[in-house]
Amino acid sequence: MKTKSIFLFLGLAALFLSGCSGGHPGDITNWLQNPATPLAHEVRHSFYFTLYLILPFLFIAEGLLIYVILRFRKKPGREPAKFHDNPKLEIAWTIAPAITLVFVAVSTYGLIGRINYSPESDMQVEVTAQRFLWKYHYPEYGITISEQPLVVPEDKVITLLGTSVDVIHSWWVPAFGIKRDLLPGRIVETWFKAVKGNYKGQCAELCGPLHAEMLIDVSVVSQEEFEQWVKQKLAEKNAPADSTNNLQTSGSAETK
Amino acid sequence: MSEAAAAATAYKSSWLNKLDWFVTGDHKKIGIMYLWFAIVMAIVGGGFAGVIRAQLTKPDSGLVTPEFYNQMVSMHATLMIFFVIIPAWTGLGNYFVPLLIGARDMAFPRLNAFAFWLAVPATALMFGSFFVVGGAIQTGWTAYPPLSLAAFSAGPGVDMWLMGIIFIGLSSILGAINFIVTVANLRAPGLRWFKMPLFVWAWFINATLILVATPVLSSALAMLLADRVFGTSFLTVAKGGDPLLYQHLFWFYSHPAVYIMVLPGFGVISHVLASFAEKKIFGYKGMVFAIMLIGIIGYMVWAHHMFVAGIPPSLQIFFSYMSMVIAVPTGIKIFSWLATIWGGSIRFTTPMKFGLGFIFLFVIGGMSGILLANVPVDYQVTDTYFVVAHFHYVLVGGSIMSMFAGMYYWFPKMSGRFLSEKLGTWVFWLFFVGMNVTFFPMHIMGIQGMARRVFTYRPEFQSLNELSSAGYLLMLAAGLIFVFDVLKTAFFKKGTLPADPWQINHVQNTLDWKVSSPPPEYNFLKIPTIE
Repeated sequence: MKTKSIFLFLGLAALFLSGCSGGHPGDITNWLQNPATPLAHEVRHSFYFTLYLILPFLFIAEGLLIYVILRFRKKPGREPAKFHDNPKLEIAWTIAPAITLVFVAVSTYGLIGRINYSPESDMQVEVTAQRFLWKYHYPEYGITISEQPLVVPEDKVITLLGTSVDVIHSWWVPAFGIKRDLLPGRIVETWFKAVKGNYKGQCAELCGPLHAEMLIDVSVVSQEEFEQWVKQKLAEKNAPADSTNNLQTSGSAETK
Repeated sequence: MSEAAAAATAYKSSWLNKLDWFVTGDHKKIGIMYLWFAIVMAIVGGGFAGVIRAQLTKPDSGLVTPEFYNQMVSMHATLMIFFVIIPAWTGLGNYFVPLLIGARDMAFPRLNAFAFWLAVPATALMFGSFFVVGGAIQTGWTAYPPLSLAAFSAGPGVDMWLMGIIFIGLSSILGAINFIVTVANLRAPGLRWFKMPLFVWAWFINATLILVATPVLSSALAMLLADRVFGTSFLTVAKGGDPLLYQHLFWFYSHPAVYIMVLPGFGVISHVLASFAEKKIFGYKGMVFAIMLIGIIGYMVWAHHMFVAGIPPSLQIFFSYMSMVIAVPTGIKIFSWLATIWGGSIRFTTPMKFGLGFIFLFVIGGMSGILLANVPVDYQVTDTYFVVAHFHYVLVGGSIMSMFAGMYYWFPKMSGRFLSEKLGTWVFWLFFVGMNVTFFPMHIMGIQGMARRVFTYRPEFQSLNELSSAGYLLMLAAGLIFVFDVLKTAFFKKGTLPADPWQINHVQNTLDWKVSSPPPEYNFLKIPTIE
């Protein structure tokens, strides 16, 4: 049993550390590996900061436990100790975690604000969630797309105004470091400013049978590519019938 | 032998006596019925978990339909919380709180019986809901509106679920009143508050939590039921209601519920560690105050379940900081337990193994809890498998491990027979290793971006999910061995044990080890006096 517990403990510790630094290279859903926005970088920093502050307590507690298991096995001739309190020790193990947690708490304060209050917006996109698809509306261009990747220019502050037409959904793209519930009857705001790339996300609030397939794709492209995309969408829109009809049929098929 | 005594003996062996179980107000019989009930429900709830793990072994296994998968997710949680963990603690509490305080029964034996039998209609509604049009609830155990409203969850399944939880909640409330009154009034002469064993303290504080929190859940569920059935508009957006109201009320119960599920376990662990390390519990008063603090602060953290749901940043900060504060009394408990076993003479009996395993796992669950209390990190990992990992470390590593410890510790007292130490060692190692193999990889899946409550996922998560499903098999084996051993020992072994079968009462000095095993009816011929 002794050796088993040691191996198990070491194995778990290794697993925990590998979990924090590992992952699949090139997998752009992994916010720890590939944060794509300034916020996601900060969230990653906050994660590691908290982890490194609390890991010593984890190792102290588990280390002491294992030491006691190995050291204080019942043996003939050895009497158990008699102490059952020690005020100084008790004060110490109350104060030390409390102080550590103050550091964790203070470190998150500013970031909570930066996530919740967006800087000056470069572009707005209205997100409408509907079981089991996303609609994006670009008010500046009069473009509405549905069941297609959200396309935005790189390095611009994109504000999302989100709502839902039915149940609660949650718009989540891990690499952006944001997740917001979209509730019917409310408009919520969130923002990101991402580097170029294709990003994956999905609905993060159980919304019905096909919740798991309510996926999000975001293409962050250069300004020129974006302008070209806008032109193309506007041309599609002005060309009669075809595309809009498609939108409607796909929409009504989903609401059934 | 007098005529009356002969008649009593004859009655005891007759079939009429067996029927007594249906009408008894005896706290020990009711306690045992709660425990059997929890074991049966754990088999079903564990089976549902098996369906989930089987489906998730491959990204797109197609083993069950999305609808059925969501039923399994919802019912696994519902059963494990309301029909396994809470009743099991009520069972152990029923049996041992009166014994430990030197009382002959609970304060209200008939109320006690009524509370237990309420579980029957609740269970019937739960299982019945699988067979109605639309099937059982598919919304997750949280049943958030609008998803749980009639427009999106048609059919009587959700109504039956709501009624079932209201019944089982009423059972909890009545039980809590009984515990509070019993502990307040029926303590043996000389058993002052700060002489009470820690299991009694834990249950007393637990009962106050249940009494305050559960009615709030019932009212939230009643609003939902009224919106569904009578067309009211508490939570219906189109008519001016607010779905967030439900979330606040739901978590106002369901966060304290986490403590309701683990506080009695804290009590059990304190008894077990002290007993088998042959040392008195370290820092008794600190332990009591820590439980009280956890109970009180436990009421001020509920909205940490709602950081992304749309509450103002100032409130997020408040609930985040309170959630971190709760780690302090939890730390006091962990360190006090370590100090309890420090310098002891440890006997590695099965309950002790579970006690030590509990500390190991609960610490990990606590650490991931602090990461979740960090709001920006929570935005990332909430509603992912990281949260699933966290609460299984707390509920399986905390509640279930301490429940195993309690069952092995007190089984000889309840039945007069030891559970097998040999099988117990198997149960412990299979469960402990299986638990880690199942739930540890979920931390990593969550951080890498796997959402929870999904029947399908991106292929990159497959290997970790396979590992997790393999771990389930180990836990399943542990569970089956345990049930086999309990059945065998309860029904096929004979004999009785001395009052103190573990030979621990020179350390514990508690009343449970001073009466025979099993204890006589009404426990004490003469009410003991504590000096």
